[in-house]
Amino acid sequence: MLMVLTIAGLTMLQGTPAAPSLMFETDIRPILKVYCLDCHGADDKLSGNLDLRLVRLAIKGGKHGPALKQGDPSASSMVERMKSGEMPPGEKKVPEAQVVLIDRWIKAGAPTRRAEPDRLDSGLGITAEERNYWFFQPLVRPAVPMAASKDRVRSPIDAFVFQRLKSQGVDFAPDADKRTLIVRVALDLTGLPPSEKEIQAFLADSGNDSYEKMVDRYLASPAYGERWARHWLDVFGYSDSDGDGTADTQRPYAFRFRDYVIRSVESDKPLDRMFLEMVAGDELLPRPLGDLSPAQVELLAATGFLRMGPDSTAAGGEAVLNADQAIADSLKIISASLLGVSVGCAQCHDHKYDPISHADYFRLRAVFNPAWNPSGWKAPGARVVSLMTQQQRQERTKVEAEEREASMRREAKAQEWIGRVFEQEIGKFPEPQRVPLRDAFKTVAEKRTPEQKKLVDDNPKLAISAGVLYQYSPQAVEELKKLDDSLAAIRSRKPVESFVAGLVEDAGVTFQTKIHYRGDPRQPTKPVVPGDLTIASPDGSRFDISDDDPTIPTTGRRLAWVRHLFKGSHPLTGRVLANRLWMGHFGRGIVDTPAEFGKLGLAPSHPELLDWMACQLASSGWSAKSLHRMILNSTVYRQSSKIVQAADRSNNLYSRFPVKRLEAEVIRDRMLSVSGQLDATRFGPAVVTAEDAAGLLNSNSNRRAIYLEVRRSRPETMLSSFDAPGAAVNCDRRSQATSAMQALVLMNGDFVRNQSAAMAKRVITEAGADPSIRISKAIELGFCRPPFAGEAGMLMQFMADQSALLKTEGFKGDVNEAGLTNLCQQILTSNEFLYAP
Amino acid sequence: MHPNSIVPSRRDLLCQTGFGVGAMGLASLLSQDSVAAPSKPGENLPLSLSPRAGHHAPRATAMISLFMHGGPSHVDLLDPKPNLSKFSGTDYQGDVHFSFVNRASKKLFGTPWKFSKHGRSGTEISELLPYTARVADDICVIRSMQTGHNGHEVSIRYFHGGIAGVTGRPTLGSWMVYGLGSESRDLPAYLVLSDPGGHPVDGTHNWSSGFMPSLYQGTVLRPKEPRIPFLDRPTGVSVAVQRRNLGLLAELNKRHATEYSAEPDLNSRIASYELAARMQLSASDALDVSRETAEVHRLYGLDNDATREYGTRCLIARRLVERGVRFVQMFLGGQPWDNHTTIKDGLPAICRRTDQPAAALITDLKRLGMLDTTLVHWGGEIGRLPVCEGALDANAGRDHNGQGFSIWMAGGGIKGGMTYGNTDDVGHRAVDNVVNPNDFQATVLHLMGINHERLEFHANGRVSRLIDGKKARVVQEILC
Repeated sequence: MLMVLTIAGLTMLQGTPAAPSLMFETDIRPILKVYCLDCHGADDKLSGNLDLRLVRLAIKGGKHGPALKQGDPSASSMVERMKSGEMPPGEKKVPEAQVVLIDRWIKAGAPTRRAEPDRLDSGLGITAEERNYWFFQPLVRPAVPMAASKDRVRSPIDAFVFQRLKSQGVDFAPDADKRTLIVRVALDLTGLPPSEKEIQAFLADSGNDSYEKMVDRYLASPAYGERWARHWLDVFGYSDSDGDGTADTQRPYAFRFRDYVIRSVESDKPLDRMFLEMVAGDELLPRPLGDLSPAQVELLAATGFLRMGPDSTAAGGEAVLNADQAIADSLKIISASLLGVSVGCAQCHDHKYDPISHADYFRLRAVFNPAWNPSGWKAPGARVVSLMTQQQRQERTKVEAEEREASMRREAKAQEWIGRVFEQEIGKFPEPQRVPLRDAFKTVAEKRTPEQKKLVDDNPKLAISAGVLYQYSPQAVEELKKLDDSLAAIRSRKPVESFVAGLVEDAGVTFQTKIHYRGDPRQPTKPVVPGDLTIASPDGSRFDISDDDPTIPTTGRRLAWVRHLFKGSHPLTGRVLANRLWMGHFGRGIVDTPAEFGKLGLAPSHPELLDWMACQLASSGWSAKSLHRMILNSTVYRQSSKIVQAADRSNNLYSRFPVKRLEAEVIRDRMLSVSGQLDATRFGPAVVTAEDAAGLLNSNSNRRAIYLEVRRSRPETMLSSFDAPGAAVNCDRRSQATSAMQALVLMNGDFVRNQSAAMAKRVITEAGADPSIRISKAIELGFCRPPFAGEAGMLMQFMADQSALLKTEGFKGDVNEAGLTNLCQQILTSNEFLYAP
Repeated sequence: MHPNSIVPSRRDLLCQTGFGVGAMGLASLLSQDSVAAPSKPGENLPLSLSPRAGHHAPRATAMISLFMHGGPSHVDLLDPKPNLSKFSGTDYQGDVHFSFVNRASKKLFGTPWKFSKHGRSGTEISELLPYTARVADDICVIRSMQTGHNGHEVSIRYFHGGIAGVTGRPTLGSWMVYGLGSESRDLPAYLVLSDPGGHPVDGTHNWSSGFMPSLYQGTVLRPKEPRIPFLDRPTGVSVAVQRRNLGLLAELNKRHATEYSAEPDLNSRIASYELAARMQLSASDALDVSRETAEVHRLYGLDNDATREYGTRCLIARRLVERGVRFVQMFLGGQPWDNHTTIKDGLPAICRRTDQPAAALITDLKRLGMLDTTLVHWGGEIGRLPVCEGALDANAGRDHNGQGFSIWMAGGGIKGGMTYGNTDDVGHRAVDNVVNPNDFQATVLHLMGINHERLEFHANGRVSRLIDGKKARVVQEILC
């Protein structure tokens, strides 16, 4: 039933001939909503006094008489004026195919599905048809289909997938072999290949639950946090820069939000808690903020989420418009992450395709406005909160006083030594010369007489300064060094000030949000009550946040809203989150437009499965790991990726595990891991990238890619060539390009060559001198398997040829090692390495 | 070969010869390139750069765009206004929107430079563009451009992405290569020649593929060697060593692909190595202007300090288009045409840098028989005001003007030796036959064989077009 509705909706949108009997509610009103209702129904003030929200109102007509005559299109001005191009005014016209539909419908008597109501509330409201759209249905846990034991159904997930497979006469592919499975799971969960030890241990474990245990081990790994945080950071629009034009100002403290996400994911912080902290962490803190405990710093770091979008307010220009754009972008990120509908379409007028009104958009903004505070907008630089406690501040003042004192002591001591050495040296001159010499040196340079100048110039050895004391007195050096050391010791005690950047709602801000006429912030109209999208509540109700929370210093609007989202009954949030987790594992979502579940998005491939997982996520206490576990332990996930069944060649039904190209970060990290160069240092400020001589952006760091600086205008060359997110607001879904540029990076790039050389050295160290052992080792490191029959021979031949060739070319250095480097590079750049099995 | 040409062109010949990749033994994979599955309605064209037919026979198969960031002063270059000179120094009576209000003035500022008629067509061109004047009969000057916005970025984005001020959209070049793919199997389809002075204003947005995959993004050639990153083999890897490396890689990939027969992406990647290997050979060749004669060097001004850099890039642009690159766009660092002050020095300087090379491109394309199928565009995002900025003295400049300005186009189906449209009496607003950036885009795509209303991209369930549902017209009057 769900599918049928969806497909009907889509055919309508594409304007292809629909079912024979066209109905107003299902076929015609959606077209009118896009092209007509803005002026003829949405507003109380009707253009030409014509209301097209109901058939009977169209028949009644407006200033220019009836707009519709049942059975007679040529006497129906509504369609005649569309045909002539007169309506709608402006540049966008009704496509011909849709005019044809309206024509046909009028000819057929302009039927409606049901009797039309006697009275209508103002505005477009939400029709029964719109409410019937699958995504807006209340979330109800679907019954799990029955399966026979021979069906290899391990879990409810399998049952849902198998039901569709069976209906097409397709079976699950057999489970992949153990070696494939551990590579698949390790890359999926940690973004790193399994170590040889891990592979051996898993192969040796013959227990029935060896696979499940292996999954659990990787889920518990810190690397899991670094890998899955990156999935979230895509949709959160994570960036270490503001994206403000060519300056693209750095955000020195964005990393705390990145680290927050890593820690939250790793510890399986329940998603309701994680999003509560991200949306409203600051509302959990007292005002004024005072000394921050580490837990409180985390809460502020979490709100970095609301500041991740591009923000050009630092660059100057039209402040009101820039702030409005920054807010709109943040709302895009929030809705992409939690609502799965493009609320931005309702910024200027009612959403044309989904039941999201212009007012709804501003109701949502009103939830955040006291914090963003457009009328008291803070430029990016002004948003930081110091992490220094009162006590640390006092300590700093104290240490600074000590520092001044010690510094003066040191200076005095130096002067004392300079004087002493000067006297000692001047004593070496004959008595009569001493007075004029002393006078000359003690006189400041500008006031010296010509004779004094000459004296000074002729006797450079009397020009004693702190810098040359060492040439005269080792004792002076020793004494001063002691003072320097104690100065340094004092300085090292000085507390260093650092900051967290996020969104902090100021106490007492009561921002009244008004609808912006046509989305223009300079034209506010009616005020709105903050709240959730109307469509997300059952018919006749709406989640309003009418009163600000009196128990906390802030309005509490964001707290109220995010708690509402995670009550478990919200139709949007659970589905959106479950879909995103699924997409992380399979490379495509059940709804493959993961930020657009509305009419503009793609239909779900397995709607019941999605609903089931959304319910399961809520009932598990929003534990992402428990859903991971369920997905990874399923037969769907364990299937071989090599078996292709004709009835499902494109794998829409999941009759095999999809082969996926690794994401940019995984390619890089996997290379570092195999070469033995991976620097496992965790957390902290972004590792800066710099432009090299060839104008490419890279870093010299071997840390995991997630720690490299993400600048909107200056993406790291290797990562961006493999489709890491760039300048856009956020990334709902990675694209997967295949380009010659990537091939050049892999063939000639320094990073890949360096890792190949390091891998060759590692192979030599670990395998010793025997060429055949070296080759096995290289294959095992790169591909996590022993060489295939014939493969070792081919590689031996390659090595021999390369060594000989290099020798004839007069290669300077170890030709065997150079050959091995070349071999390692081909392993690191081959499809077996770049794609997950 | 192009569907509309009978004799193989110089471009065809260069496209078809000289790969020298047979040694790789992967000829079968090349066929991958030419197989482009037609897309179904509601679907995107295949994610590839295989050449594909547009909606109608094209007049142009390639385009070179000389983008003039900053707003070239049309009343000093291409749009003579005798009345502006006549009333110079008096107050302008119309409304003016100023960007730099602190230096605003309503004093009309007649051009300090002389215009005269050139060619058989008698197109009037300023003495600042003596070389362009010589190709007057080959170019069509459009004097009625209008963005309606005076700002740089807002108008730049209008020209590139189709909507004024909005970023995150694919650029004109992205749409072109998305719709048509590339005729070069050896070079990227969409190339950007950047300036040694740095990125133009609005940075990478100028060649972004927006919501399209990065495959359709402009590939930026660096302003100096290495112009293409990663093109050079690593130290210690000779041609012979690399050939063996790629041979081994192909073997590894071939075996792997047999295990995953249903994954087209694996074969695309194998083919991408092929292209990369070909690029190593052909790109360095395409970029090597030393292979041109001394006469060609002189034509483009490579023998002169003022014109050498821009001339080299113009010559490279020609060599790229010759090799089947679909779209080449040249940028200038910063915005040298943004003459707010001392226009009397600033404008001649940037003209000296660009005039000769730009004209040489037309001359050269024409004598090589390529001008008919290569569309050339010269122009900025805005023009400049007829009134002066600051005092009307030696330091006078001109403020932004998006209400009326000039560009020129040539070749690829454009009628040469004509002017089109008019601004008002002083060159402030376009008044006759107004052409906005969407009309410009519609015309460009039309010449390339694309109907702008039918070229769609689907992302996140949304259908987008370059000219996003707005009305735009193909300027038929300037087509031949």
